[in-house]
Amino acid sequence: MQQLDIPKKKPSFMRTIAAAPHIVWAVMFIVLPLIVVVWYAFTDAEGHVSFENIAGLSDYADTFLLSLELSVIATFVCLLIGYPLAYMMARAPKHRQKFLVMLLMLPMWTNLLIRTYSIMAILDDGGFLNTLLGTDLHIIGTKGAVIFGMVYDFLPYMVLPIYTCISKIDRHMWEAAEDLGCTPFQVIRKVILPLSTSGVVSGVTMVLVPSISTFYISQKLGGGTFELIGDTIERQFVSGALNTGAAISFIMMLLILLSLAIMNRFTDADEGGVIV
Amino acid sequence: MAKLIELKGLSKSFDGEKVLNAIDLYIRDGEFITLLGPSGCGKTTMLRIIGGFETADEGRLLFEGTDIGHVPAYKRHINTVFQKYALFPHLNVYENIAFPLRLKKVKEDDIQQRVTDMLKMVALSGFENKSVSTLSGGQQQRVAIARALISHPRVLLLDEPLGALDLKLRKDMQNELKTIQKAIGITFIYVTHDQEEALSMSDTVVVMADGEIQQIGTPTDIYNEPKNAFVADFIGESNIVDGIMLEDKKVKFSSHIFDCVDGGFAKNEAVDVVVRPEDVDVVEPSRGMLTGQVTSVTFKGVHYEIIVDIGGFKWMIQSTDYVAPDAYIGLYIEPDAIHIMKKSKYSGKFGDYSSFSDELDRLSDAELAEEF
Repeated sequence: MQQLDIPKKKPSFMRTIAAAPHIVWAVMFIVLPLIVVVWYAFTDAEGHVSFENIAGLSDYADTFLLSLELSVIATFVCLLIGYPLAYMMARAPKHRQKFLVMLLMLPMWTNLLIRTYSIMAILDDGGFLNTLLGTDLHIIGTKGAVIFGMVYDFLPYMVLPIYTCISKIDRHMWEAAEDLGCTPFQVIRKVILPLSTSGVVSGVTMVLVPSISTFYISQKLGGGTFELIGDTIERQFVSGALNTGAAISFIMMLLILLSLAIMNRFTDADEGGVIV
Repeated sequence: MAKLIELKGLSKSFDGEKVLNAIDLYIRDGEFITLLGPSGCGKTTMLRIIGGFETADEGRLLFEGTDIGHVPAYKRHINTVFQKYALFPHLNVYENIAFPLRLKKVKEDDIQQRVTDMLKMVALSGFENKSVSTLSGGQQQRVAIARALISHPRVLLLDEPLGALDLKLRKDMQNELKTIQKAIGITFIYVTHDQEEALSMSDTVVVMADGEIQQIGTPTDIYNEPKNAFVADFIGESNIVDGIMLEDKKVKFSSHIFDCVDGGFAKNEAVDVVVRPEDVDVVEPSRGMLTGQVTSVTFKGVHYEIIVDIGGFKWMIQSTDYVAPDAYIGLYIEPDAIHIMKKSKYSGKFGDYSSFSDELDRLSDAELAEEF
């Protein structure tokens, strides 16, 4: 009997070709820059290996703590506003949900810089708000203004993952909870909240990470009165202190990675919680 | 048994389409009642109204005489076993079952005792710490039943609870559900489209079609004395032919006059005649009351399913004896095997096996995929 010739399965040439652009892209724009950052972080201006950059970072501890404080507050405020908003969106009739999501996304069609500039124009000493109210409030340059800017700019990143998560919860879950004796509030606390933790973790990550490293919002809305870690990094690079800038960036990346790892522990692995 | 739940003139429409039309029904305390009907007959909507997940447009829903139409689900002494179980994935088996007790702030010792007892009843002892997602369909179903029963509801609603299980498991669960119901003695309201399930488990069967109740009765009543062509066809197999009631206990159909046991019709009233396939005896053509040619024979295990053409109308006969296709056979029907029904809007729609195929028969199972 003649043996049938069944070709063995091996990674096809076409598949390799198809993946190639992505691999090239990833290497050129993700891996290489990272290597460059690490290289600069551990060398001095002459290109000799040096740990001085890292050792000198303690000077920036206060800046870092301030960044952490503001971004944590902003994230918390986003969560307070975002969760109920996401919940209401998920419970709205299906045809209205699309419209609500569009409303939420609408500000994101405008560039972040322009939005931040607009907030500045509104909150400025002689700005729109003060003119409207006829007051003389000094808002720009306060922590409050920076936090407001972060919340305004990043709120959609909190709402969307939570909304997606809640709207995926089976309708029978709500009914079962109610059936077994939950008041409407208990349904949320005992069932919906626990089932949407992965959305909350995603949302928190997606707001915290850009908030902590922002430099633009703090520059414009902070009125130059205080500096966040993002500003510090930017200043280092602009002034040519590449090695210090790289060192701060490197440590920031490590810290963010660490906090992501911690947050991932709060979500089930199979839910794929954190998107970042 | 006292009336526990009463539905009075209950109507419900979705998007202008009437799903329930002036339903009147009472449910006795402690009975196992089944709402049986094809997809879209309104049985699930009725269950959801009783459970508190929908509100009726018209009519009243009474629980021990008080109107509970607007009482929210969490305040009703009625619990539900959902078709897709609806177990909480963030809780393990123990916590799922303990869920209603924790809401009521029952003491920890009591909770442990009751959950342990409940797990024993549904034969899941030792599963306390398992995650519900690791359980099989049958096991999840048991957890759902335990969870629904632990707070001692007065009524348990079951919405096609066995729909997703395979045949063997379904039979086992049917027996088990019946045993549980007898043991705890509360009212079970069971929704299914599976007539066999309804007949074998229920004290009372409510047959529904087109948003209306067609017949209420014990399983034997429903099977032996169907009220109209719909019920006769939906419950088991039926040959339904047009007949003329000549006088009491004399009916003419298929050009032959038969003795029967029914009476009380007008002289020469047009009626529907039901003969169950298993009640027809196959005899020599010379001895038959009716004769016809066999068009198909299918072996079904217990019996042969024989389709016979009698004057253009195809009868189904179930016989343990083999007959060859194309053979001419005689049919013999005992008087008490003939059941006479009044004409209804369902007359002429059912009971002819001309277009019969197993495939069509199975279409009613499409309801499993039904999603409200």
